Amino acid sequence: MATGILLFQSITVILYYNNMYEVLFENVSKKIGLTKEEEQLLQTFFIPKKLRKKQYLLQEGDVSKYLAFVEKGMLRSYTVDEKGIEHIAEFAFEGWWMGDQFSFLTGEPSKYNIDALEDSELLLLTKQAEDQMLEKIPKMERFFRLLLQNHLIAIQGRLASSLSNTAEEKYNQLVQACPTIPQRVPQHMLASYLGITPETLSRLRKNISLRK
Amino acid sequence: MATKKTIAIIGASGNMGSAIAKSLANAPYRILLFGKEEAKLKSLFKEIKNTNKKADAEIIGCAADASWEADIIIAAVPFAAEKDIAEKIRQVATGKIVISISNPLNETYTGLVTSSDTSSAEELQKLLPHSKVIKAFNTTFAGDFSQPVINGKTIDAFIAGNDEEALETVSDVVRSAGFNPIKAGALAVSRTLENMQSLLIQLSIKNNYNQVAGWKILHN
Ligand SMILES: NC(=O)c1ccc[n+]([C@@H]2O[C@H](COP(=O)([O-])OP(=O)(O)OC[C@H]3O[C@@H](n4cnc5c(N)ncnc54)[C@H](OP(=O)(O)O)[C@@H]3O)[C@@H](O)[C@H]2O)c1
Repeated sequence: MATGILLFQSITVILYYNNMYEVLFENVSKKIGLTKEEEQLLQTFFIPKKLRKKQYLLQEGDVSKYLAFVEKGMLRSYTVDEKGIEHIAEFAFEGWWMGDQFSFLTGEPSKYNIDALEDSELLLLTKQAEDQMLEKIPKMERFFRLLLQNHLIAIQGRLASSLSNTAEEKYNQLVQACPTIPQRVPQHMLASYLGITPETLSRLRKNISLRK
Repeated sequence: MATKKTIAIIGASGNMGSAIAKSLANAPYRILLFGKEEAKLKSLFKEIKNTNKKADAEIIGCAADASWEADIIIAAVPFAAEKDIAEKIRQVATGKIVISISNPLNETYTGLVTSSDTSSAEELQKLLPHSKVIKAFNTTFAGDFSQPVINGKTIDAFIAGNDEEALETVSDVVRSAGFNPIKAGALAVSRTLENMQSLLIQLSIKNNYNQVAGWKILHN
């Protein structure tokens, strides 16, 4: 009986913490196939880290030591201008990566702040751990190459849309990428991301819903 | 502005755990307190807040959750309990700094229970192969934390470990607690450090240092 309970407890512990990598494994398996052993090995390169709402992963002036994979919750990156106004650069939800790539790769201090908009569960990768991982699991090279390609496409798309698209088109693109965004992100942050005032955003949303 | 680091203290209800917690709560760290004795933790928490209203501290009811949220984990438990703690935190301690403070003393305080070819720090590293174990705070008494400067001299606090960046981070922690950090070498140097404290304890008993005593290297 006693062993039964013990066994049960250790199984729940294992299940509980295996969930820490669930979304990552799901994402990886969409692009490349890993064996169970490789999955076990992959875990050892990531730092599991809980971040509470409003806590920072990175503050301006610090070197970005980590790339963060979001298992649960939401992060945002933003800059603050001379007038003290926040400009949101990116959001990251479950299954997305976040980090200041430039600072991460060059070791230069970051111009960005990254904080949690919700209680979050992250998997952090240092440059050193990334290098070791790519050496031990060469298949992951392909995963990161595809990831970088997608990132590049997204950045170019955003660049192009910021030059030519209307705020409404930009808003629709964002909601398409993440349908729960309007419920999870406060209006003023969405407006900041789109580069419009909260009033313009609210008018825009009214127009969209009227047309539906 | 430096991003704030979170430190989990496992065994915060003990002599060392509470001394470390009180002292680090005055530095810009977020401190997570885990211990088995709820009442002791609550009074510790009150004391921290009474001394420093702005202290960023919190009681966490589970060792694994506290460690999951932490950047640095301090194992402030007896050597005999480290295996048990390591089991609980292993998964969430991957890639993190784990500070080993223990001295594996025998029951009569006359020596160590570990064999001469290892140390409690190296044993903890074996239990947590994916963490960065650093030896620190083992050569200072709990009583030293409220008096890290004796007769105008700051007590030296030795640290040892195999990861240079982690040693640097732990040096900052040691300095924040008011001691003078000295990097003594690789993790295996913990064998010497643990024996040094064994000697200091014996001398403290013999000469009535009242457990406020420490090491200081005099040099030019
Ligand atoms: N005291 C010193 O001056 C000093 C100096 C240098 C290094 N150290 C080292 O620091 C460590 C702690 O010493 P201490 O003097 O602070 O001892 P202590 O006062 O007895 O505290 C030990 C703490 O560990 C907890 N603990 C014990 N077994 C545990 C387990 N299985 N799981 C979780 N928590 C457990 C205790 O909780 P409960 O009370 O609820 O059991 C208590 O909070 C030791 O390794 C010692 O060698 C001590």
